[in-house]
Amino acid sequence: MPDWRAYVRENLDRLPGSPAEQRQVVRELAEHLEEYYLATRANGLSEKEAFANACAQAGNWEELRRGITLAQQEEIMQERVRQIWLPGLVTLLASYFVLAALQRAAMRYFAAHPGIPHGVVYYVPWLLLLPLVGAIGGYLSRRARGTGYQAYFAVLVPALGIGTFFLFLFLLAFVIGPRITLATKVSALAMGIINWAIFPGAALCAGAALQSLRRKNAVSSRGPRTV
Amino acid sequence: MIRTELKRGTAELAILSVLEQGPLHGYEIGRRIEEHSAGALCYTLAALYPLLYRMEHRGWLHASWMIGDNGKRRRCYRLTTRGKKMLKPMRAEWRDLFRALRRVARVSHA
Repeated sequence: MPDWRAYVRENLDRLPGSPAEQRQVVRELAEHLEEYYLATRANGLSEKEAFANACAQAGNWEELRRGITLAQQEEIMQERVRQIWLPGLVTLLASYFVLAALQRAAMRYFAAHPGIPHGVVYYVPWLLLLPLVGAIGGYLSRRARGTGYQAYFAVLVPALGIGTFFLFLFLLAFVIGPRITLATKVSALAMGIINWAIFPGAALCAGAALQSLRRKNAVSSRGPRTV
Repeated sequence: MIRTELKRGTAELAILSVLEQGPLHGYEIGRRIEEHSAGALCYTLAALYPLLYRMEHRGWLHASWMIGDNGKRRRCYRLTTRGKKMLKPMRAEWRDLFRALRRVARVSHA
């Protein structure tokens, strides 16, 4: 009986995935070839003929390796979308929906009080509500089996987006506002990034951290699993 | 003899259809497709396994190691709910295609 695992390993090098995943693929393909070989032997073929038939059944090894790699890449892409980009998009939309709602409320209810600055009226409640949004984003990422880092990255998408936007404005200021001093540009950039990227980012991360803590507590309170 | 390019397009439907009857391992999937198609659809490893992995990643199939009748561990595939849902529109799509081909190329009289 030929060593089918060795045969597959020999022909199918540079497989994608972890060593355990690679071993699993090799084992599965080897078992397929072995079954095929045994079936053709049972049909009366000689060892040599059965071996040749099983080898032909494998097809083109390079095509097989490429096909497995593409399938793996498709999976990685889908996982990234589910674990990072979708929760990130939800966090982004929810963050700015909450901000818009608060701004509208601030205009409606506080317009008659000139002593209260509008910005503070909606900005502070917004920061206080952002952990809730961050918790939702973190939950969505973890539910899609995202790691802790992926969950934090997902909830940071709005902060990273707005930070990039301020950086773009800063660079644009060199083109459209050459008379503005460098100190003014830098302080505007710093204020923009601190107020609209760092503080909201920290609030969103706090929400993701609380969600993660809650999840850990839920898992530990369930105790060890029995099979 | 059906050309490889044509066979590839049929593989998803063929796999889902044979798995509708119950979980099977890769070799058995290939064997049953060949048997049910009277030898017309015969897939090599290079055609079958990348597709099985892709369908598994899409959530149409679920694979797990099971011990077979001969005591050997086999990676068996079974249809998931999502896979079952895919089967009906896929069948309808192929039916429409054959109907259209019959009208255009008179395949049934060829």
